[in-house]
Order: sequence, then structure tokens, then C-alpha cells
Amino acid sequence: MTSLALIFTLAAIGISETSYLIRKRITFEKPVCPLGEECLKVLTSQYSRIFIIPNDLLGFLSYLVISFIAAFLVIGVEPVKFWTIALKILVAIASLVSVFFTYLQWKVIRAWCFWCLMSALTIWLMEIIILINF
Amino acid sequence: MRIAGFHILRVGLAITFLWIGILILKSPESWGGYLKPWAAGLLPIPLSQAMIGTAILDIIIGFLLLIDFWGWIAALLGAIHLIIVLLVSGITDITVRDIGLLAALLAIMIDSLPQDVINKIKFLKK
Repeated sequence: MTSLALIFTLAAIGISETSYLIRKRITFEKPVCPLGEECLKVLTSQYSRIFIIPNDLLGFLSYLVISFIAAFLVIGVEPVKFWTIALKILVAIASLVSVFFTYLQWKVIRAWCFWCLMSALTIWLMEIIILINF
Repeated sequence: MRIAGFHILRVGLAITFLWIGILILKSPESWGGYLKPWAAGLLPIPLSQAMIGTAILDIIIGFLLLIDFWGWIAALLGAIHLIIVLLVSGITDITVRDIGLLAALLAIMIDSLPQDVINKIKFLKK
């Protein structure tokens, strides 16, 4: 229960963060960059989309699905085993994708984006919780 | 209110509402036990159904606060909801923390009022 509460909380933080980025993108506003001013360089780079889907939208949907699965597991919606496996797979994929995006910021774009790093940290924390508890 | 503080409070409240909603959905009957008998007697529908409705309302409020969409309406709804909770449950060891949540929601609501609503309030004052 505690681990699911933590995963749900992290997913909610992710939803909040990605919805902020989506809103800023739609309204053509510059997002606040708490660390440096390089957010925009990363967020507007050619890597800010996977095919035609913007990464912020993809992240939002991933966090939404993770929060739903965590909620289903708390409530006990059947099939519990399926939801547990789905959660593990989804968070594992998201963690790997976050590793890739962090690498892109470090070596390819050569700029750091606070929101992207925060999202990566959120996902990695989820993965650590899953590895420890499930 | 300082902008970072506002968002930390908003997201924190959102998570609280979402999580409470989920916990109520998990066991609506046991959460219904917090209702005072006179309040439970006033319900036109079974207690568990009323609690499921409450859970859905909590989740909607939490989600709106989380994505910062119609934030002031969500905070207003949340504040009204908490006032009702305090009325129908009484101030107990558990519900006493709702006073803090209520104050936080009012702060969020006041701070995120759109300008046209503020103008209407000013117009009504005249």
C-alpha cells in the first residue's frame, strides 16, 4: 500500500509537470527554467517529439496510465496480476526512455532541461520503488 | 502568494484529494462510518453510493487542481465539500486536519480567481 501510494504520488507530480509543459507549448509561452535558461533549447529541439507525438503529451499519458494502474491496485480491481505486470513493464520502459532522453541532453543537445530531468527523476524513483517492493 | 509556494500547495492538495478519493472507492462503507447518524439518515440514496459519489467528486477536484485547470472552481468545490464534511462528521481527531485543508483551499481559490470574477465582485461591492 505504501509503495503504491508513493508511485501514485510520483505519477501525480508527473501529471502536474507535463500538463504545465503542454499548456506552455500550446500557448507559445516560455516555461520557467528554475536551473539555467536552457529548457527551451531542449524543449524545442528535434528530439522533443517521438514521430509526431510531443514528448510532454507522451509523458502525460504515461503518468496518467501509471496513476490509474496504481489506483486499480489499491482498490483491488481485477485482474490484479495483470495490473501489477503492466505497471512493472510501463515504468521499466519509461525509465529506459528517460535514460535515453537524459543522454540526449548530456551528449547530443548539450543543454539541460529542469523539467525533463525532474520527469526522469520521477520515473527512476518509481522504478526504484518497484524494484525494492514488488 | 509566491508562485512556487502556490504550486507546491496546489499539487499537494490535489494529491490529497485524489488519494482520499481512491481510498473511499476502496471501502466506501467504512468511510461512511464517519458520518453522524443524523446526516446518514438524510441521504436519499444508500450510504455506500453516496460515498462513491463523494469519492468521484474528490477525484475530479484533485485532477482539476493537479492540472491547474479551473483551479479556483476546484478549490471552491473542495472548500464547500470540506465544510460539509466538517458539518456531517463533526470535528474529531481525524477531521480536525480538514480545517487546515479548508484554509489551504481557500488560499488557492483566492489566489487563482480570474480577473473577470474579481471585477464582478468589485462591481457587486459598489
